[in-house]
Amino acid sequence: MRYLKLATPNVSAFLDRLSNYGDLYAPTKISEKFYDFRRIEDVDKVEFNYNRTVTPEKKYFIPPKQDMFEFDMEEGDYIEKMGEIKPFVLFGLHACSIVALRILDGIYLDKYPDKYYGMRREAGIIIGISCLPDEYCFCNLRRTDFVDVGFDLFLHELPDGYLIRVGSERGHKVVDENLDLFVDVNDEDIENFKKFEKKRHEMFKYKGSFDNLRYMLELTENSSLWVEESEKCLGCGNCTMTCPTCRCYDVKDIPDIDGKHGKRIRFWDSCQFRSHGLVAGGHNFRETKKDRFINRYVCKNAYYYPLGTSYCVGCGNCTYFCPADIDFLDILMKIRDSSEEGKHGQ
Amino acid sequence: MGSDDNVYNLYKCRLLRVYDLTEEEKLFLLRFEDSEIAESWTFIPGQFVQVALPGIGEVPISICSSPVHRGFFEMCIKKVGKVTEMIHKLKPGDFVGVRGPYGNGFPVQDFENSDILLIAAGLGMAPLRSVFMHAVDNRWKFGNITAINSARYGNNLLFRKELDAMQDIAGAENIRIIQTVTRDPEWPGRIGRAQEHIKDANTDPGNSYVVVCGPPACYQSIFDKLIETGYDPKKIYVTLERRMKCGVGKCGHCIAGSSTFLKYICIDGPVFGYYDIISTPNLI
Repeated sequence: MRYLKLATPNVSAFLDRLSNYGDLYAPTKISEKFYDFRRIEDVDKVEFNYNRTVTPEKKYFIPPKQDMFEFDMEEGDYIEKMGEIKPFVLFGLHACSIVALRILDGIYLDKYPDKYYGMRREAGIIIGISCLPDEYCFCNLRRTDFVDVGFDLFLHELPDGYLIRVGSERGHKVVDENLDLFVDVNDEDIENFKKFEKKRHEMFKYKGSFDNLRYMLELTENSSLWVEESEKCLGCGNCTMTCPTCRCYDVKDIPDIDGKHGKRIRFWDSCQFRSHGLVAGGHNFRETKKDRFINRYVCKNAYYYPLGTSYCVGCGNCTYFCPADIDFLDILMKIRDSSEEGKHGQ
Repeated sequence: MGSDDNVYNLYKCRLLRVYDLTEEEKLFLLRFEDSEIAESWTFIPGQFVQVALPGIGEVPISICSSPVHRGFFEMCIKKVGKVTEMIHKLKPGDFVGVRGPYGNGFPVQDFENSDILLIAAGLGMAPLRSVFMHAVDNRWKFGNITAINSARYGNNLLFRKELDAMQDIAGAENIRIIQTVTRDPEWPGRIGRAQEHIKDANTDPGNSYVVVCGPPACYQSIFDKLIETGYDPKKIYVTLERRMKCGVGKCGHCIAGSSTFLKYICIDGPVFGYYDIISTPNLI
């Protein structure tokens, strides 16, 4: 891998130059408490130290609502509608988010590639940034706390700038076209990189892995824990909307007022909604709130085999944004270890 | 309609014939309008298509004909929601949008040189008819064949008349057709659930593939009877139903199974083997 250093005085210039490659999107503070990815006009607004954003990065690749086709009801035709897709730079993704995009890639760019997703993915330059975990993070248990691929550039925090890993040909191009901003990495930088990584590891609340969790979960599907926890759930779907790997969508044909034309749209759906498992004739494969509640735990903890990781990347968003204070990690700890143990039983 | 690289692209099909099967189910014969697609389009028995009416929506429907007939295919559609209600109103000459075929289908090549036992309950004959017709159209490739078709009432038996009409060729071709009902006092034929007639099949349990389709609640007792009779569990297949919105493993509506075996029914299925079913909670 190619390594370079971006010293602190050059960081702003680097962000400015990124606009040569497309519109810049990065995390920014949107309120007292929250951050979100937004279009950046003023690079001073970019937030380098944030824990999570109110909407996940998937929104740039699977928009919350998007047009798919226009149709003509008289001719019976559907005409593809891609919309305008301009090059863009997505700056400041954490490692877990990059793994999440790779999981989405595996699903959306498989043997039936989704063109709407693929064109957006192609258009976006991905620049990652290192982070330190908060109490909601458990990416280490998911083995998603460090990424090898899936980014063009990845910035690791140093006391006086960033150590940059170059992860793609596009990354090399960006670096080569702005070489005046970078210097070689020296021994001190390497030591500082190691220190940061050690500090990061030590900050995680729990160590080990969740590799056996999916078996424990399968064996515990009849536990009373699910009744107790699902009773707290409001069924709002916040957990799935803020999840970086939840990707369910629904499709609808919307006729125009003329009754002859219209468009087919797709929009984010949630397995926490009653309509999700409903089939024609009224049968519902996930009839009760408990069924739907368990479904998310089952789905998130299943493995996406091409990456050897679960569909959950351990970001903690679902817990952080749950209005009913349902603690995903706490429930998983109870499932893995023992339901007798207390909060985050060790 | 759109560009060929868009997997959601629909192809125009002309509706050629509509047959009434029961009060709620109709059989539709369709042909692709585009000659190149008509020429190249084919499928495996057990696969399904997405059928769309602009402004109304799109639904997943099993193909119920044999792949022998190039460019043509049949679907059995129950009037059960807003899209299928509109499809039921269509007349020969009308168009629908179709994309697919999707799903794994039955491993019919593996079935060659073996006997085939088909067991349908309720609407199960819709996808199984494709396997049955494929076997009939390629008769020399397969051993003995039995089709058991079951429903509550005689009037609910899908393809009842067609199967009755095939009794003549069946006798000559070592094909046994068994139609049975569970609740119909007027029915002159066999009574009882499908599994009660497995003993009368002409298939050799030691050299048969079995395909089963019916309501989720019927599977366990059919499995039990098959295994008790000596059929090999690893040669038993079922096909499952979900509300696929995309058909290509994206939209998530058909995700099923458990944390050790999570599957998209639309691409990993809809056909699953016996061992997948019994080791996976929530699949059926």
